[in-house]
This record gives sequence, C-alpha cells and structure tokens, in this order.
Amino acid sequence: MPLAMLRKGETACIKEIIGGRTAKGKLTDLGFVSGKKVKIHSSSGGPLIVALGDNRVALGHGLAHKVMVDTEGCES
Amino acid sequence: MSLNKLRGKNNEVKLALAGNPNSGKTTMFNELTGSRQHVGNWPGVTVEKKTGRASYQNYSLEVIDLPGTYSLGAYSEDEVVARDFLTTGDYDVVLNIINSANLDRNLYFTVQLLEMGVDLIAVLNMADEAEKKGIKIDKQKLGQLLGTPVVETVASKGRGIDNLFAETVQHRDLSEAALKIDYGSEVEALISEVVSMLKKFDFTGQINQRWAAVKLIEHDPEAVKLLEREVGASKAKKIKSLIAERELKAEDDFDNIIIDRKYEFINKVIAESVQRPAEDQELENVSDKIDTIVTNKYLGIPIFMTVMWAIFKFTFTVGEPLIGYIETFFEAAGGWIGSLLLGAGASPLITSFITDGIIGGVGSVLVFIPNIFLLFLAIGVLEDSGYMSRAAYVMDKVMSKLGLHGKSFIPMIVGFGCNVPGVMATRTLDSKRDRIISILINPLMSCSARLPVYVVFAGALFSNHASTVVFSLYALGIVMAVIMAGVFNKILFKGERSHFVMELPPYRFPTLKGVFIHMWEKVGAFLKKAGTIIFSVVVLIWVLANLPLGVEYASAESLIGQFGQLIAPIFEPLGFGSWQAASSLVFGILAKEVVVGTLGVVYAAGEGGLRAALTANFSPLAAYSFLTMVLLYTPCIATLGAIKSETQSWKWPLITASYLFVLAWVVAFIVYQGGMLLGLGV
Ligand SMILES: Nc1nc2c(ncn2[C@@H]2O[C@H](COP(=O)(O)OP(=O)(O)O)[C@@H](O)[C@H]2O)c(=O)[nH]1
Ligand SMILES: [Mg+2]
Repeated sequence: MPLAMLRKGETACIKEIIGGRTAKGKLTDLGFVSGKKVKIHSSSGGPLIVALGDNRVALGHGLAHKVMVDTEGCES
Repeated sequence: MSLNKLRGKNNEVKLALAGNPNSGKTTMFNELTGSRQHVGNWPGVTVEKKTGRASYQNYSLEVIDLPGTYSLGAYSEDEVVARDFLTTGDYDVVLNIINSANLDRNLYFTVQLLEMGVDLIAVLNMADEAEKKGIKIDKQKLGQLLGTPVVETVASKGRGIDNLFAETVQHRDLSEAALKIDYGSEVEALISEVVSMLKKFDFTGQINQRWAAVKLIEHDPEAVKLLEREVGASKAKKIKSLIAERELKAEDDFDNIIIDRKYEFINKVIAESVQRPAEDQELENVSDKIDTIVTNKYLGIPIFMTVMWAIFKFTFTVGEPLIGYIETFFEAAGGWIGSLLLGAGASPLITSFITDGIIGGVGSVLVFIPNIFLLFLAIGVLEDSGYMSRAAYVMDKVMSKLGLHGKSFIPMIVGFGCNVPGVMATRTLDSKRDRIISILINPLMSCSARLPVYVVFAGALFSNHASTVVFSLYALGIVMAVIMAGVFNKILFKGERSHFVMELPPYRFPTLKGVFIHMWEKVGAFLKKAGTIIFSVVVLIWVLANLPLGVEYASAESLIGQFGQLIAPIFEPLGFGSWQAASSLVFGILAKEVVVGTLGVVYAAGEGGLRAALTANFSPLAAYSFLTMVLLYTPCIATLGAIKSETQSWKWPLITASYLFVLAWVVAFIVYQGGMLLGLGV
C-alpha cells in the first residue's frame, strides 16, 4: 500500500517507488529506496513527516502515494 | 585531468566544496577562506557559486562553495549550478562535505561523483554529531572501500581544518580511477555494449564512458542531450534503440536495478566501516520531541505567528531606547555643528548642506542601526536553529490552497530581511510556475529597508501603539502576498504541480559565530548603503531643494518642490498629497530607506528632528495610509534588477513594478477613504 495511507507511529518497509522520472528521482535522492524502513512521525492532513534512518523528511501527499510500502516490516 | 598539470604551476590548487544541502559546506568555506558567507541550518541557504582564496604553507588555494545537492539529477536552478560546475571539471580536487551523522544518504552523492571519475576527498564533517549518536566510522576502511582519501572535521568548531589543508595539498594531483559498481550481469552486459558503441562513435569528451553508458541506460535527459550533441542524432538513436530493446526483454526496470545496486553498494560499505548502536534510529530524539509540538496540526500556525511576533517585538522594544539616544545625538550634533560652522564664518549654504543634507538626510536613516542589528540577530537565530524548514512545513497548509507548497514559503521568510536574496532563494523551487509566483509576491514581504519608515512614523504619530502599528503592516504584507498568490495562481498559468519534499534538519543550537556573521554582514551592508546610494540621493535632493539659485530652501518653488507638486495629485485621494511625501516615494524606489532620507532633507530635520516635522504634517490616518503605500508600492531597483536577472526577461520586473503600484494605491485609498468615512480622519 502507499505510504500515504499509514498513520502516525506506524513503521513499514519500502517496496517500490512508482511514478515518473522526476518524482522517482527526487525520492531516491532523499533515500526512499526499496528495503528501507520508514516510520511516520506526523500525518495530520498536510504533508507527512517521515523518519528514514537518520533523516527526517517532509513529504507531500502526491509523493507519499508513490512510495509503496509493506507494513510487515523489513526482513533483516 | 588535474588542472595543475595543465597549468604547469604546482603551488596553485583549485578546490570545490560539494555535497548534500546543510552538510556544512559554507561553514567549511568560511573556515578555509576566512570569508563570511551566509550559513544557516536549512537546506537552500546557498543558491549560487561563491569563490574565495586561502593559503596554506606555500600553496595558494582557490576555494569554490557550491549550492547543496542530493544528486547530479539537478531538479532546481541551484542544483543545476552545482551540477554544471562539477561536470565541467574545472578544478583540481573536490572536497565532498559529508554529514557523518547521516552517512547513507550523503554517500549516495559521493558514489555518483566517484562513478563519474571526480577526484575527491571525502570530508566526514559533523563528526561531533556522529559521535553523540554513538556512530563510529573506520576512516581507513571507508577510504579503502571508496578508493579515496578520508578526513574527519567539525567545521562549526574549526576542528580538523589544518589536517584537511594538509590532505588537500598532498592530494592536489589526485587521479583516482572511477568507481565501478557491479550492476549485475544483465545491466553490465548492456553497459559494455553501449561503451563499445560509444568508442566506435568516437564519443570522447571529458566524460568517463562507463559513467555515460550508465546515465544513458537510466535515460538521464542531460546525458542523452550530450550524446546527441557529440555523435549526432542518428548514431545516438542507435544507442537509444539498443537500450530500449534490451529493456523490453528484461524482467525488471534497469533504472530500479541501478538504484538498488547503488544503495546495496553503499550499505555494504557502511556495514564494513561503520559501527553504531543497534536500532537507535528508532528512538525519538530531542528534535523529534520538539517537532511533535512545533508541527502540531493545531499549534503549528499559532506558534509560527508567535515566533514572528516575538521577533518584531524584540526588534522594537529593545531598539526604541537605543534609537532615542542616537536621535538625540544627531539632533544635538546638528545644532552644535550648525552654530559652530556659522560662528566660524562658514556660508549658510555649507551649514545647510551639513545640517539639513547630511545630518537631516543620512542621519535620519542611520538612526535605525539598532533595529537593523536586532532584526538580523533574531533572524540569524531563527535560521541557525533549524526552525525555517518547520515554518515551511507548517505553512504548507496555507500555501497549498494557493497552488504553491510549503517550500515556497522559505523565500518569503528570507524576504523579511531583504527582497534581493528572497528573490534569489526561489531558485530552490523546481517548478517554473512556482518560481514566478514566488518572485512576484516576494516584494510584499516587508524588508528591513522599509523598517526605518515605519518606525519613524509610528514613533511620531502612534507612540502608544507603535509596535502594533508596525506589526499590522508586516501582517498586511503577508495577507496581500497570500491574496496575490491566489490571484496569480488563477490567472497566470496552469502549470505542472510540483512535488513537495523537504529535509527537516535536526535542531541545532545557534552558533555565536554564525549569528554574528549574519548580523555584521547585514549591518555592514546597511552602512555601506547609507554611505553610497542613500548619501548620493540625499545630496541630490538637497541640491534640488536649493535650486533654482536664490530660492528659499526646500520650498514649494524649489526644483524638488516643483517636481513633487507635479506628482502629488496622484496621492491626494490617499491623504498625503504634499509634494514632500510625493517626492520621497519617487526617490524611495532607488532604495526604500531614502523615503526617510528625503523627508529628513525636505523637512530640514537636521534641526528639529524628523519626528516633530512628521507630527506637524501628517494626521495619524494619513500616516497609516502612507505606510501602507510604502509597504506595498513598487519595489526598489535592486529587487527589480534581481527579478530581471533571475527570470532573464524584462517582462517580470515590469509586471511586478506596475501591479504593486496599483495594488498599493488601491489599498491606501481604501485605508484613507474608509478611515474618513468612519470618522478617523482627525
Ligand atoms: N554540529 C555541527 N554543526 C555543523 C558543522 N558544520 C556545520 N554545522 C552547522 O550546520 C548547519 C548548516 O551549515 P552550512 O554551512 O550552511 O551548510 P551548507 O548548506 O552545506 O552550506 C549550520 O547550522 C552550521 O552551523 C559541524 O561540523 N558540526
Ligand atoms: Mg551553503
């Protein structure tokens, strides 16, 4: 499911980034790549704040729909 | 491809600082060169290339600070500046500034540079923050895995700088083989085919062929353009169709494979060279705790407004007594010098030049140094703390209703200092449409040059409510900006909607040095402006006030009086139809402080003080109407120039200048005539 659907405090594992060249490029630049763990720090209607390792990133809803995640978490 | 060898001189080194935004490049630049470039704890502070010099032992170093970038993808103007510089290879060695506390993402950029064949030194900056998190980096191992020298620094405390100098000159002729990442058999097979085609087509240039092949497989638009330029469209097409053909057969996207393999490589490097406490990333740190409050759905915007209000309150309440002292000083000096000059037999003309022109004009402006000083002190603390990106995040709610997003708010905050950097800060926005709208509304952010006008009027006419009046003007500016952004969003263009993604750096305690650099730089700029443009205009106005020869000083018959009378009718319905007010507004376009300077000269404020003159000549309602005019009307020429150079056309500065004049007139009209109807006109 898309990252945008998660609620505050939930963690998930990134499976895939969908979408066009620019969207994908910007997301990978900031570390959104498959196999990475994300945690939602804030989701209140506006953009999300997600923790991605040591990063904290504000992410608009459009882009958050392009990050497909798995709530089962990452294997390792 | 070392420049040194090309130049044949061996004691000159040209270095470039490159890396992710907010990794400490500008702090390092200042440390290396002793310059005072603007540092701030938010991504996007540096938007242009800056050059400085340093010397170490008998070496002479040229240091170039670049805007930060997360990759060579270059999605916005500032990133294009960095990418273009890095790909042309006009340097001996790149200092890749890395945030040690955030290795994996920072190394993604490092790896891209290394693949391209850039000769770099990996500078593990912010070693203090890594240490605090318990991250231990085996420098030697990391260097070995990346094939590059590694140095550890703490730029903000000047730690490791000497060592960095030593390593830099030692490696000035560095010539590393480009990094090769194994992209798996399928992609590798295609890479070698593309490389051999590139060879066959004589694609040489300065570019590493393997890297070019990888970029082409990733469909990088710049790489495709370069290929077409170098080998011609038909040969380029052959390569492109080979790639397309392979892609069809492949199971997974090559793009994805390449990205995944890159990150896998980075993960492996980190696993082998970095030790960190298990799972500590899961813990909420102090920054996260502050963020839960500051970015809260309901509290976010009120907190932001409180912060802004506190900044202005601070600027005025602390500034007011200081202004009082300076004012008293200038008034006393005016009177004293005046009688001294007359006593010494100086001609009345010279006496008037000194007292009315210099002291009345330039002095009236210089009085406001404390405000400028305090405003930038407060902005400096705000920028260094890390709150800027949070403000942008919080304001996304408002901005998205206008078709913009939160990031567009950052140039607006910068505009409170000065609109020129505000306009330039729009470079970080990646859609052209967002950029134009942000540029058009930036002058509505009330800059520090307009502050003296507000303060002098507020002090003269609204003494009990001075800070409320001034704050209301700032607020009016923001409200107008929001309305105009909405209007432009509707009428101007339907453009692509841009993506909102922005790093939130950890909160940092503002460094004394960073804040002071910012403050001195601004106060220095203010003094320089007072000594150059403001001084010249004031002298010009004084001359105009004395011509034609024999006319009574600053009377309606003087040239400036006649000129003002010509224009004054435009402002008559707004409540300030005097020639003095009209001419101050016209000359104020040269620099907004000149509004005060001009009033100082034409009211001969050197003797009685400007405030007294204003009280005698303006009603409170007319004064407020005048202030809304000053807030909103045509921006200064420096801002218009910045708009011209950022948009590369005369169209946008002309539109800005005219729409703002009309807007200002209409709003001031409503204020004045509305106030009259309500019976406030006494
Ligand atoms: N703790 C710590 N902070 C640093 C260090 N270097 C820079 N900073 C801070 O990091 C922020 C970003 O610095 P800046 O030089 O503007 O980064 P740039 O965007 O790469 O030019 C500022 O708040 C600096 O004070 C460091 O080594 N340690
Ligand atoms: Mg910088």
